Amino acid sequence: MENIFLAKTIFHVDMDAFFVSVEELFDPSLKGKAVVVGGRPNERGVVSAASYEARRFGVHSALPLRTAYKLCPQAVFVDGHPERYRVYSKRVFSVLERFSPLVEMASIDEAYLDMTGTERLLGPPLKAAHRLHEAVKAETCLNCSIGISTARLVAKVASDQAKPNGILWVLPGQEARFLAPLPVRKIPGVGKVTEKDLRGLGIRTVGDLARLDEAVLGERFGKWGLALAGKARGRDAGGWFDSEVGAESDPKSVSHEHTFGEDTADLDVIEPVLARLAAMVGRRLREYGLHARTVQLKLRYSDFSTITRAQTLSDPTQLDTELFEQARRLFYANWKTGARVRLLGVHAGSLESGAQQMSILEEDNSRRWKAALEAADRLRDKYGESAVSLAKALKGAFAERTHENPAGLPGRKRGQRDFPEK
Amino acid sequence: MEFTVAKADLVRELNLSQGVVEKKTTIPILSNVLIEAAGERVTLTATDLELGIRCSCPATVLREGSGTIPAKRLLDYVRLLPEADLTLKFLENHWAAITCGRSRTRMAGMSRESYPGLPDMPDPVAEIPIGLLSSMIARTAFAISVEESRFTLNGALLVLRPQGAIMVATDGHRLAYVEASCQMPEMKPFRVLIPKKAMAEIVKLAQESGPEGKVVLSADENHLFFYVGERLLISRKLTGNFPDYERVLPKDEGYGLTLDREEVRGSIERVSQFSDERSRAIRLQLHDGEVKVFSSSVETGESEESIPGEYEGPDIDIGFNANYLLDFLRVVPQEKVCLELKDGKSAGEFKPSGDDATFRYRYVVMPMRI
Repeated sequence: MENIFLAKTIFHVDMDAFFVSVEELFDPSLKGKAVVVGGRPNERGVVSAASYEARRFGVHSALPLRTAYKLCPQAVFVDGHPERYRVYSKRVFSVLERFSPLVEMASIDEAYLDMTGTERLLGPPLKAAHRLHEAVKAETCLNCSIGISTARLVAKVASDQAKPNGILWVLPGQEARFLAPLPVRKIPGVGKVTEKDLRGLGIRTVGDLARLDEAVLGERFGKWGLALAGKARGRDAGGWFDSEVGAESDPKSVSHEHTFGEDTADLDVIEPVLARLAAMVGRRLREYGLHARTVQLKLRYSDFSTITRAQTLSDPTQLDTELFEQARRLFYANWKTGARVRLLGVHAGSLESGAQQMSILEEDNSRRWKAALEAADRLRDKYGESAVSLAKALKGAFAERTHENPAGLPGRKRGQRDFPEK
Repeated sequence: MEFTVAKADLVRELNLSQGVVEKKTTIPILSNVLIEAAGERVTLTATDLELGIRCSCPATVLREGSGTIPAKRLLDYVRLLPEADLTLKFLENHWAAITCGRSRTRMAGMSRESYPGLPDMPDPVAEIPIGLLSSMIARTAFAISVEESRFTLNGALLVLRPQGAIMVATDGHRLAYVEASCQMPEMKPFRVLIPKKAMAEIVKLAQESGPEGKVVLSADENHLFFYVGERLLISRKLTGNFPDYERVLPKDEGYGLTLDREEVRGSIERVSQFSDERSRAIRLQLHDGEVKVFSSSVETGESEESIPGEYEGPDIDIGFNANYLLDFLRVVPQEKVCLELKDGKSAGEFKPSGDDATFRYRYVVMPMRI
């Protein structure tokens, strides 16, 4: 940082093995065991989260459950409980917002706090972090790790280095030196592919990367390469990292997908799932106060061939019924009749906020639906997502699967509930 | 085939066919105009299969016959000729030779064999002044939907009854309704959907036919026929159920406000420069004795004007798409307009203020949620 007096103080608070820890609160017998959250070992699907004990055997999130079982047959496999995680995530948030007005829940189990200027109130960063750590523990019985730095990216890497249950402060000016010895994979956004590409250039550590000329990276990886060069030097660069903590940005789209336990061509199974997906999308649109102008259907057959088809609406909507109607129409217009379906997805795009034109012909109807669905949303807030459902979607109820924010994804903003099906 | 015709006559009739000729070149022959010479007239036919027009003008027919040539090229060329008679003659290879004064031109044409036939006009069902029909179109056509998927809204509803005619158009956001009094005692009630494109052509025919012109209407199962003077416009019918417009028209009067058309139009035009580009939302605020119009957008700024107008109802804050209001204000001929509102969530109704012996004009606009 060029001027440490202007430097920000950013906390990255990351819950330790969040899903597993929450499960342990409900079933203390799980403590200290290898635990895999996501489903039964013989089920289709992927691991949502694994306890540190299970991770020792190579189990990690996004791994197929069957593979996890092979790696660690002694593990306890439990179903995920999205409801519980949401509740605890909210509790964590309510602690965090007492420490800073600028809190951004990047995903269900991690948050960034802009702590700049809180010293007089909460003490120096390390002290504030201890108080925060204790408050989270006291009020949620959960452990977290905290990374502190002048930049979000470094704070995120620091919290990872501090795990489990630790606090790590990277002093202003020391960001590059802190990152240098770490493998490039530690930089959020660097995945297997980039890692391999970089290895081809003889780059293994962040330090190697930082020594490289920015222009070389720019040439090889384009804009993303330039961002990478900045990241390697400990700066927030590229895409999401350029924005301020807590800066509101509306989502570009909202979508939900479901993979069937068993591929199906049964319309009595397919339609309710479409209805359920549409309802989930509608709920989130209402939560954000957005209306979608396009509805897109994603359809994957058993042979993994996948199509997406979209429809533009004359009047943007946030109503489950209209989203379902469009998704259903797209399904029948494009489905190879009788072909078995593996995955369905409903996606709402071209999102609009602000003034919405009312319809002269449908207004009464849509006003009633809007009121009914908003009432349903309040019930769901209180009693859980399955409290109310469209009749059509009743049979489409499926256990919602969740995953903790996979390392590397910068994360999402607060309030956004995104638990895509895997 | 060979005939001689006054250039001005040919240009006038060709002009009328231009709106009908197929613009996309999917079927090449539909870009052509069919020219038929018989008796003492030459007849021009154009169609895009949705719409067809047949016009004619006097000519000296030297040899009867027919052929087709590209409509736009023919008009573009003939327009440039001097004001004189020209002779058109079809050659054996379907080409046409045009001579006029010292100009000699040969144009590539196509055989008339593959030119589609137009249906014959059945018995008339009604006759109304063309100017009346054209005025009804001007008051409603702007409210027709531009969404091609909303098929039944891609035109206007025309209802003919012994005591008069009604035309209604809506795009689902606003509805324009006009009722014209004209006595047609023998008339059996008649109800059709007229496609938007046909309406535009009727307006053109009205302009050509003068104030006294009449239009004779008829219909077969699939087509509508509008016979104006020597010209016949044929349109495919729009099918489907037009929305129940009577349900949409407000039954009881709202809180009224009379405004000067030009003043309110000017205010909305200026203020809406600062509305959101996509939604075009503006707000009207009605207080006791005061009307304000304003809009703001994060990108462009904000603007506000107060409009002189007597208002005595409760406070109402309502959002509208500025374009929808301007559409009405640009066609209504009266200098004073009346706006009636119920509350911020119900449709607003606009109408001309004062008495109008011929037209009863109502424009209902749904507000925007703001």
